[in-house]
Amino acid sequence: MREDMGLIVKTTARAIIPLIGIFGAYIVMHGHLTPGGGFQGGATIAGAGILFLVAFGLDEMKKHYNKSLYSVLEGVGGLAFLGAAMLGMGVAFFYNTLWHNGPFFNGEPGTLLSAGFLPIMNLAVGLKVFTGLVSALTAIALYRRWKS
Amino acid sequence: MIEPVFFYAALIISIGAFLAILRILLGPTVPDRVVGVDTLNTLVVAGMVLLGAAYDRTIYIDIAIVYALLSYIGTLIVARYLQGGLK
Repeated sequence: MREDMGLIVKTTARAIIPLIGIFGAYIVMHGHLTPGGGFQGGATIAGAGILFLVAFGLDEMKKHYNKSLYSVLEGVGGLAFLGAAMLGMGVAFFYNTLWHNGPFFNGEPGTLLSAGFLPIMNLAVGLKVFTGLVSALTAIALYRRWKS
Repeated sequence: MIEPVFFYAALIISIGAFLAILRILLGPTVPDRVVGVDTLNTLVVAGMVLLGAAYDRTIYIDIAIVYALLSYIGTLIVARYLQGGLK
């Protein structure tokens, strides 16, 4: 049985995977301005990974997938979220000190560089969700014994 | 500013979606239902764009784009399962 799908699907996947990735990054970055945010954007980018896995097959995915790297990136996402929450620890946990008196991310509300630590947290959650979902789906695809 | 013409168009789209759901419910074989779901995905994308125009919110179009991209992946996965590529 063939491991990958046909030529049309593979060519379409080559064209669409960057599109999904860029659109997911757009959703993550504009989480404080438009619908979506960390989880939605991360799940969208993970959809690109799943499309890669389905269109090109498991052997090709094994070459491009690094278990240690994805585990580390998932941990880094969680730690970045926690680190952003700790920034205003002098006042309170989750105190948005970047917005009140920070050096950056305190622009006019409605612009991209506003809302304090929310963009950082969206990026962290997006990274965590993307790596977690891709790792989970790859692990499920690797589990290939149908009997016992 | 809410334009009623977009709501009428969305109503026509929903009638088509109802017919697609009928095919999903009645379809005798599995590929019939897959084609029904694919049609329904496209109609839902059209309905989302029309309702985004009806409520005059441009940010609703983003959700339609995401749905169009992800429904393609879903259809692809079902097709791959049906062709027996997971053995």
